[in-house]
Amino acid sequence: MTAATRMISGILTITEFELRKVFHDSSQVFVRAIQPLLWLVVFGGVFGRLRVLPTGSYSYLQFLTPGVLAQSVIFIAVFYGITLVWERDFGLLNKLLSTPIPHSSIILGKTFAAGARSILQAVLIFLLALAIGIQLHIDVVSVLGVVLVIVLSGMCFSSLSIFLASMLKTRERMMGIGQAITMPLFFASSAIYPMDLMPTWLKVVAIANPLSYTVDALRALLVTGDYSHLPRDLAVLTLATTALICLATTSFKRIVD
Amino acid sequence: MIEVISLTKRFGNFTAVDSVSFRVEKGEVFGLLGPNGAGKTTTIRCLLTLIKPTSGQVRVSGIDALRDPQQVRQLCGYVPQEVSVDGDLTGYENLLLYARLYQVPRKLRKKRIQEALEFMGLADRANSLVKTYSGGMMRRLEIAQVLVNQPRVLFLDEPSIGLDPAAKRMIWDYIVRLRDDFDTTILLTTHDMLEADELCDRIAIMNLGKIAVTGSPQELKTHLGGDVVSITSKDSNCFGVLQRLGYRLLSPSHDGVCDLVVQNGEQEIPRILDELKQHGITTNSVSLKRATLDDVFLKYAGVRIEEGDTTWKHARLTRRTIRKLRQ
Repeated sequence: MTAATRMISGILTITEFELRKVFHDSSQVFVRAIQPLLWLVVFGGVFGRLRVLPTGSYSYLQFLTPGVLAQSVIFIAVFYGITLVWERDFGLLNKLLSTPIPHSSIILGKTFAAGARSILQAVLIFLLALAIGIQLHIDVVSVLGVVLVIVLSGMCFSSLSIFLASMLKTRERMMGIGQAITMPLFFASSAIYPMDLMPTWLKVVAIANPLSYTVDALRALLVTGDYSHLPRDLAVLTLATTALICLATTSFKRIVD
Repeated sequence: MIEVISLTKRFGNFTAVDSVSFRVEKGEVFGLLGPNGAGKTTTIRCLLTLIKPTSGQVRVSGIDALRDPQQVRQLCGYVPQEVSVDGDLTGYENLLLYARLYQVPRKLRKKRIQEALEFMGLADRANSLVKTYSGGMMRRLEIAQVLVNQPRVLFLDEPSIGLDPAAKRMIWDYIVRLRDDFDTTILLTTHDMLEADELCDRIAIMNLGKIAVTGSPQELKTHLGGDVVSITSKDSNCFGVLQRLGYRLLSPSHDGVCDLVVQNGEQEIPRILDELKQHGITTNSVSLKRATLDDVFLKYAGVRIEEGDTTWKHARLTRRTIRKLRQ
């Protein structure tokens, strides 16, 4: 078996079994939909009435939906670093490392699973959004585009999380950092308000934040239908994902030392 | 089958494994016996190419582990000390995962998994989630997991830690059957004298990163040369006097207990006590036992293996992990 097929079969296997775990306990998918639902119904409901945010010709709920989708992606992705620490604390990771698959395929498989797992979550939020009457732009191109953006973002933030896990090494610290980065990533992006409203310093952070590009791409695909920024968004996401995956695969072995 | 030549592993200033050499023959159960922190796990992890040794050579089935780690991993199976099955998957899926990771050809997978499940006596629970298994079943599943690869060399790190006596016995039976039925070479680590004595064809006694002595349990016990007489005395001179009288003592006395090795212990005891009396030493109690591996360990490592409480800490940790998984 060549190195490439070994790699690919390793990635697919890891991904598949991560997803099997989700299917054994599908209640977690629903539990994790509660928070996005609150954001849409409570936060979006109230802010939509205020009409203080300039969201153009779209309703605030339409504006918010891609943001909430993006948020659920980072919530899932950031969790993967914690799982890795958890698997290290059991003997799972050491046993995985003792098999002949390339070690990088373990990480790639996990990040890929984070992407696939995010899709499941997104479908549910999507249905919720449609159920409460939010109008979204849906056709073949936009659905395929959304899938691509979500998988890329899932991989991006899960590799960030795995990289952090290999630095911090304990479950407690990871729980802390999980809390400490998800909300800032969310608030320092265009998820809940347009970037034009931000003070300059925050705007700089938002421009450096890959999540802004996730939100921007999702908004173009699902709401505005204006695809002019899409190539830029995808390019930035691809670049960030590649860089973070490289970081994560080179550093993750430190977690078992 | 396994050849280790002056293996050394340092972590910073700490030398975990200090120039260790040993050979394991094909179809042999070889035990690394020592207290926790002796360097057993580090040795195993070097053999499995999970960590890079600082220096030394490792060959598994003739393959240089440093030069060709992937090929070595393909031949081996590893069951770590900690719980290594996934509680959120079924028993069958845990095995399927490893069949895929070890690249077992698609046509053979089902058969191998079924065989491994039946061999380890888990076939009837194959489709239950592993978090519903008992600790002993999890251990058996962990071994079944690597059996799908039909490994030529099996590494078992503390195979029975944290298990109750019945489950422990069961694991031992399976390990012996693996050797007898499949000619698998097995390298295990243990801190359990009884386990080493019952299970291993040969053992290496390891302490503080070094191998003190290698041999079959019987050899080592015979080598000790007879019975062990333990004499308790409040008199601190007891040890010195016995030494001057020319007795073979196992180690400096601890808590006023002096262990000495004699032949024909029953007949020797009255004489020893007389001699001690003549030197003005009163004794509190005397006991006699056949030499055990623990005495061998005491002789070569200078401490009794069960003295450290670290071993218990580990056993408790494993039990806790199993509990957590089952929640």
